[in-house]
Amino acid sequence: MIRVEDLLFKYEKDGEAVLKNIYVDIKEGEYVAIIGPNGCGKTTLIKHFNALLSPSKGEVWVDGMNTKDPDAVPKVRQKVGMVFQNPDNQIVGMTVEEDVSFGPGNLCLSPPEIRDRVERSLALVGMGNHGKRAPHTLSSGEKQLVAIAGVMAMNPKYIVFDEPTAHLDPSGRKRVLKVIRNLNREGITIIHVTHNMDEIVEVTRVIVMNGGGILLSEPPAEVFVKVQLLRDLGLDVPQVTELMWQLRQMGIDVRPEILTLDGAREEISSLIKRRA
Amino acid sequence: MYYLGLYIDGESIIHRLDPRVKIVSVIASSILILNGNAVTLAVAGIVLLALIAASRIAPRHILEALRPMLVFFVLIFLLHLLFTDGTPIPPFPSWRFTITYEGLYRGAVITWQFVLLVVAASILTMTTSPTELVNGIERLLRPLKILGVPSHDLAIMISIALRFVPTLLQEIDRIKEAQMARGANFKTGTLAQRTKATASLLLPLVMNSLRKADELSTAMEARAYNRGPRTYMRELRMSLADYAAIAVMVLITGIHMV
Repeated sequence: MIRVEDLLFKYEKDGEAVLKNIYVDIKEGEYVAIIGPNGCGKTTLIKHFNALLSPSKGEVWVDGMNTKDPDAVPKVRQKVGMVFQNPDNQIVGMTVEEDVSFGPGNLCLSPPEIRDRVERSLALVGMGNHGKRAPHTLSSGEKQLVAIAGVMAMNPKYIVFDEPTAHLDPSGRKRVLKVIRNLNREGITIIHVTHNMDEIVEVTRVIVMNGGGILLSEPPAEVFVKVQLLRDLGLDVPQVTELMWQLRQMGIDVRPEILTLDGAREEISSLIKRRA
Repeated sequence: MYYLGLYIDGESIIHRLDPRVKIVSVIASSILILNGNAVTLAVAGIVLLALIAASRIAPRHILEALRPMLVFFVLIFLLHLLFTDGTPIPPFPSWRFTITYEGLYRGAVITWQFVLLVVAASILTMTTSPTELVNGIERLLRPLKILGVPSHDLAIMISIALRFVPTLLQEIDRIKEAQMARGANFKTGTLAQRTKATASLLLPLVMNSLRKADELSTAMEARAYNRGPRTYMRELRMSLADYAAIAVMVLITGIHMV
């Protein structure tokens, strides 16, 4: 479990608090989405999860290890992987497999163990035959898959994704999202920061941040019905929820908490039956 | 274009040699070539030709590697041809420059030396992938750790630099296009104007690179990179062929000494 207790964070000692009064628990197996307007502190918060940042006040615990403890940092970074927004700026190696081997190498694993993990991780993200390719020959989507493989090769329990699809085309986005969902199904806890609400209708919990604090932390259906609140924050809602909201504005009696296309189809066909 | 990244994939015996053996051999043979007499240079030429054949690199690739150096070779040759004192060659009259037998000989020898050096380096880079090359350099530098040489960090630095060469070239194209879309002109105008236009690429490129470096270092840190020890997927191991290659190198050097 990742536990955040009374977190306050300032970049400079006498500066303004970027994060304040934050309490969060992220349990094993969860798929948590974090949304919020730009500058609300999402990225600053997630950088605390693997000790890239250290709280100015309060604590962050990863499986009982305090991220402030320098001895725990390597272990914390092994347990909590991170995938960043720009796929180009997180690939270190001259070839795909060399890049994936970077993390395990930092963990001082034996060469055969590294080779084994590189092959497994690349196969897991569907890049098994691309080990020898140079990074600049990959599409953005493929680069992001390589970045995910690089994290998986460290055997993490949690993976934090910071707007992983922001730079991708639709097909790259689809591939990456599918891989993220598969990882969650295999038991990896996912924390996913995004601006695209349609990506996260199936998550277990949505955390809404604003102004350095947490506003809501609820299942997606309960978050997205608050259409007006999200709009006031400058955030979108999933397209289907938007449709339901528009229908209700027109006085049509549909349930507002519907998130998926299938759900919408059922709701509307039952509405038509009721009317008929 | 010829640069360090020009690697030609293959399965030849030269490709399979340990990169350390190849790097040390190139350094040793460079010293031999630079100190060699005409006989050594002729033999070195034959040996390098044999190595090219053994590596199954098309001679075309070697010529491509030599081409950008052509101007340099011609210049070196001419300088020695024209500025060496000695016995004049009969058909040429004694003019402002005197062409001498000695000049012809020196020019040919020194140009040949440089050709051999470029060929030797090309065989190394064409048969050794950048990854292996960096591994080899790192492994060779590792004993210097006692003197405080950070061989792991150096290896990472070289490999990141090589990895970002094509990325930055793509970046330059993108910036260029973005500026051309807003009316910048890189193709016509006086030399001064074109230089100025090119300089305007520099600022965005440097800014972008700094941001890349910042994000990359965060990503590396997130993947548990630290100053401590690390391991590699490929640990280099010497094979029988490697020891044979070393024996040959020692033999050649020995003969040269005698």
